Amino acid sequence: MKDNGCNCSPPVRHGEARIFVRAVTRFRAAYLRRGNAPSPELPLLTLAVAAMMASPVVYVAVRAAEAGGERWLRLWNARIPQLLWSTLSLTAWVAALATVLGTALALLVERTDLPGHRYWRWLLAVPLVMPPYVGALAYIIMLGPTGWARDVLGRPPFPLYSLGGTVLVLTVFTYPYVYLTVASALRRFNRNYEEAAVSCGFTTFQALFKVVVPLLRPAIGAGAILVILYVLSDFGAVAMLRYDTFTRAVYFQMTGRFDRAGAAVLSSILIAITLAVLWLEVWTRRRGRYYQTVGTYREPLVIPLGKLKLPALLFVLVVVALSILLPLAVLSVWAADGIARGVLDARFVGYATNSLKVALPASLLAMALALPVVYLKSRYPSKFSAAADRIIFAGYALPGVIVALGIIFLFNRYLPWLYATPGMITAAYLIRFLPQSMQASEAALAQVSPRLDEAARGLGTPTGRVLWGVILPLILPGVLAGGALVFVSALKELPATLLLRPAGFDTLAVRVWLQAHEGFYAEASVPALLMVLVSLLPLKLLLDKY
Amino acid sequence: MKKIFLIIGTVLIALALAACNPKPAPNQSSAPPAGEETGELVIYSGRREQFIMPLIEKFTAETGIKVQLLSGSAAEYALKILDERNNPQADIFFANDAGVMEKLRLDGVLQPGDPAVFAAIPADFRAEDNSWVGLSARSRVFIYNKDLISEAEMPKSIFDLADSKWKGQFAITVPGSEAMISHLTAIRLLFGDKKTEEFIKGMLANKPAVLKGHTDIRKAVGAGEFKFGLVNNYYYHLQLLEDKDNNVGVIYPDQGSDQMGTFVNVAGVALVKGGRNPLSARKFVEFMLKPEQQEMFAILNYETPVLPGIPVHEIARPIDTYRRVDIKLSQLGAAWEGTIDLMEKAGYTQ
Repeated sequence: MKDNGCNCSPPVRHGEARIFVRAVTRFRAAYLRRGNAPSPELPLLTLAVAAMMASPVVYVAVRAAEAGGERWLRLWNARIPQLLWSTLSLTAWVAALATVLGTALALLVERTDLPGHRYWRWLLAVPLVMPPYVGALAYIIMLGPTGWARDVLGRPPFPLYSLGGTVLVLTVFTYPYVYLTVASALRRFNRNYEEAAVSCGFTTFQALFKVVVPLLRPAIGAGAILVILYVLSDFGAVAMLRYDTFTRAVYFQMTGRFDRAGAAVLSSILIAITLAVLWLEVWTRRRGRYYQTVGTYREPLVIPLGKLKLPALLFVLVVVALSILLPLAVLSVWAADGIARGVLDARFVGYATNSLKVALPASLLAMALALPVVYLKSRYPSKFSAAADRIIFAGYALPGVIVALGIIFLFNRYLPWLYATPGMITAAYLIRFLPQSMQASEAALAQVSPRLDEAARGLGTPTGRVLWGVILPLILPGVLAGGALVFVSALKELPATLLLRPAGFDTLAVRVWLQAHEGFYAEASVPALLMVLVSLLPLKLLLDKY
Repeated sequence: MKKIFLIIGTVLIALALAACNPKPAPNQSSAPPAGEETGELVIYSGRREQFIMPLIEKFTAETGIKVQLLSGSAAEYALKILDERNNPQADIFFANDAGVMEKLRLDGVLQPGDPAVFAAIPADFRAEDNSWVGLSARSRVFIYNKDLISEAEMPKSIFDLADSKWKGQFAITVPGSEAMISHLTAIRLLFGDKKTEEFIKGMLANKPAVLKGHTDIRKAVGAGEFKFGLVNNYYYHLQLLEDKDNNVGVIYPDQGSDQMGTFVNVAGVALVKGGRNPLSARKFVEFMLKPEQQEMFAILNYETPVLPGIPVHEIARPIDTYRRVDIKLSQLGAAWEGTIDLMEKAGYTQ
């Protein structure tokens, strides 16, 4: 970066440079002769982004392969079977319960005469902005071994630090993934099928379960996959609830032992599970296709709840209480205590500033990098762009702990001058959250007719100018929405931040973790509440995504 | 096309620079000559931040040297220092335990210190080349809940943890805890691998609650979740001074004449090799060893100062009033990794 940076890359001799430039020019000319081809910078940039996204995984996999048979065998005997069981049983329980809960809530809100369903519709999505480790903190304050419940009842009602407790906490904060996908499918549902069923003698209730729910299978499946991927990658909540999963094991293998190779071994198994889930998703989508004729859309049938109205209302109320009201109330009470004790000092401002310093560049970079990649994919679809897309989205499913592990390896070896700077954290955010920005840009770009940029290019405008002058102004709201999502996700990110922060660089998320660990709930609640409030701002964008 | 790449490129570079901003200078592979320090002492600390902060603030106020603190787990930062050996970031490592500091010294990532600074500290509480030094002693004791068990009923030896009589009734820390690893290393050095492995297996067969840290253990025992737990002695003091759940007692194990004595470890500081602020680091160590600061260890954190003659808190037991394991703490480092392997072999894993 400064003058001493030259020892990092050997100076290129002039002759070599000239040959290189000539080769590139020739390649570029040959490439452009192929007719309607994108200018070569576009695929090159896409390639660079895909390489960046894949690099930590590749590096972790290589390290795991190098770890040696003996280490594999030892971990296999000592750790892996038990970790597989605890991780998979947690995932299965949470996925099953969140699916049932999310689907039931979506049906109630979208299809019945539930009182106040217009408010429930968005209120039920709010838990999505609550990072589960903050939710876990609230539950520990309420139901933990030394929590409020114990002070009132004399003993905690049930052990929170257990499979059951972890399932409860993760379920109430992940069901919105299923709820939102199913609700959105229901809003687009074609009434004709149900009417056909009813005219054949089904009651509306029977038609619901025999016709509607089966047709919702793709939406339910998509939501369940999101929940599964979330549970597999979650670190904060399981670590706070002391439940052992692969992410927590990787973290402790990295931090508790002098064994980074062992951490790579455990990571590679987690990566394999994640890839299996992603493959499952593709496979299920290929297997069943459900077509709904468009063009005959009518308002869906509303099912009268009758006597069930009160129980249904209670049910929704309990869910809202468990997932929003109680956690927010608990945090507010403690945060008020913390503020009264002067938590909001200059140091706190520093933590908030640090959060901004890493989350803001991540969000800006995510917007800048997503645009050319998405443009290539949408305007010049090819096997290459599809493959790059897959790789980039796989990064999204990666647990933060593994991203951090890969980044430590990479920066320490190849980018030592950026090591121990906040730039490492920003890089991790980019790898974890770039797909969010891409999804938003892609959706916006789909609304812009290709004729428009074809016309611009037909007039001889270079691709870059088209992108900047024609496309970007048209899709700016979508791009900004994606940037906002990345910003909020980065703000809440815990595991990679925890492992990558340089000395003296604590963020809000890190403070929540550190203080909660020492049992200083008042000090933990203030940054936690602030993060939740900031995350509420782009909630509408989040809802529009589904 | 070029324009957009120019723009994106400029944005990327600007952001990268902005991201690097909090760090004043890019790293250099070798330490700068004396007098050209970065002016910000970098400390990796495995100690509780609430405890360390007042000491650091006092240091900054007295010397004008700013401190960048990274607070977390000592084992994590030990590993980080090893990772960073070609590109050192830290000047000072604040550890909870002598074993991990000696292990780092043997791995060649610590900087020998000036013997003159350490002369007052007992030799078994520091490294032979003075690259690390103990600041406060902590003894490994049983904390117990007086509502659930009486002093007479309590186990009196660490080996009682393997007795099936205590099945499901006590708590220990996760195996990643350096205090636990060092404690087991001491047992290994005294009794050999076979007996230690049997002990660990017997202890685990009793299905103890394996908690994240000593704070969790003291709170759980105080709340009556378990009859007793294995902690460092000052966690007993901390629980005793809580507003509630404070009916707890303490047992210093293995005090019989035929027994090994209570294991006493130290928390201390180590000097990192290649750190960019060697002068400030030396000042920091000198500062920590001054009687006033040593008193803070005793009063703020209820630990036992290593400097002889500093009074301890009234609820604490002075270090010369009980039998200690006869081991030099610097012996722990070489055996450290073998202990982790043994723990894993015996099934004591995260």
